[in-house]
Amino acid sequence: MINGIGRVLTSNSLNNITSNTNSQVMLETTLKSIGRPGFILIDNEINEDTKKYAAAKEFLYQATCLLVYAALVVPVFKKGAFKMAQKLFDKEQIGNFSSLKQYNHYLKLCDSSLNNRKMTLNKEIKGVYKLDNDGNKINKLVKDDYDEIAVKELLKENPNTFTDLKGTIELGNIVGSVFGLAIFAPQVSHAFIHPALKFLGLEKPEPKTENTKQLDKNA
Amino acid sequence: MKTAIADKLRNTAHALGINNKPTYVVMAIAAVKGICRPTFTMMDKKEDPKTKKYTAIREGLTELIAIPVYWGLGELSAKVAKKVLPPELHKKGAKNAMFIGVCVAALLVIPGLCSAAIKPIMGKFYHDKDSKNKTVQSGLDIESEAPKLEIKDNIYNNSTIIKRPSIQNFTSRAEYGMKVGGV
Repeated sequence: MINGIGRVLTSNSLNNITSNTNSQVMLETTLKSIGRPGFILIDNEINEDTKKYAAAKEFLYQATCLLVYAALVVPVFKKGAFKMAQKLFDKEQIGNFSSLKQYNHYLKLCDSSLNNRKMTLNKEIKGVYKLDNDGNKINKLVKDDYDEIAVKELLKENPNTFTDLKGTIELGNIVGSVFGLAIFAPQVSHAFIHPALKFLGLEKPEPKTENTKQLDKNA
Repeated sequence: MKTAIADKLRNTAHALGINNKPTYVVMAIAAVKGICRPTFTMMDKKEDPKTKKYTAIREGLTELIAIPVYWGLGELSAKVAKKVLPPELHKKGAKNAMFIGVCVAALLVIPGLCSAAIKPIMGKFYHDKDSKNKTVQSGLDIESEAPKLEIKDNIYNNSTIIKRPSIQNFTSRAEYGMKVGGV
């Protein structure tokens, strides 16, 4: 039993999620979108219609949060943080990565064992070619994407993960998550939820005030 | 970039790079949500003022409950993991256990606690105060002035049922239940 729990707690897939704020927030928001409407639906003190309305509203709110998060945080805040790190730190501290995608790939390689890392570095990238010394077209290797310093690090037992760069990206992630989920998502959901609830038949359309005014005038 | 701000950013980024606990981000989100969601609700001009106030207090309370639960359950899970796991796996296991604690809090503990705790709290600090104020303002003792209607409802035991008008007949509160979702 304890071995089983230990295996789950130290599994690499769980570790990949916990080392990334992005996946943490996505998973947590998904759980909220299940848990909160679920608890509203099992509440016996509310009448059926109110339960359905409140649960649908909460679900739509969390779903909006998830969409806003996916659309806003990764493209804007994470990439912005990567660029900010290049201004804040020296290259020795953050390495010479050309993009956020390349750094994420580097971190994944760091998490794997040294043997797996060596095998991956020598793999060919399909469809991507380079010219050898004789001018012949040959497949590019994974290690060709990295500079010498990064390759040297990857061949060590415990490679440098460039924590300052990682920390700056995490900071961007946290700021983006707070902005996206606490400030931007409520505004988006305000515009989106009521039409969606009306479409689902859970909210009655508002009576038209203009018609009422006309009727009053006639009377 | 100004040096003081840049230094602070560098220090924060360095600390987060070394140790970014899963509880940091969820607590930050809950704290800002606890301020922003009620503010946005109160700014809604279309909503009835009483409903707005009720919803805003409810939203604020939800996040107020969420912050200590995230922190407590996260730290507790990490401590349990450290006791269960061998020392070489402490760092990795504790962080993963903390994340599982946060997930359990988000899925079960916080919605459950909110369902159980918010209604009594709201009843005590919002409904009672509201109804008391109404009685004082109107200056009417509805209960004693109400007409007593005697109805012979049950012919078998011939008991007398006194029906009085309910307090709800005199309230202006909207009757469409609680509001969830912040908009």
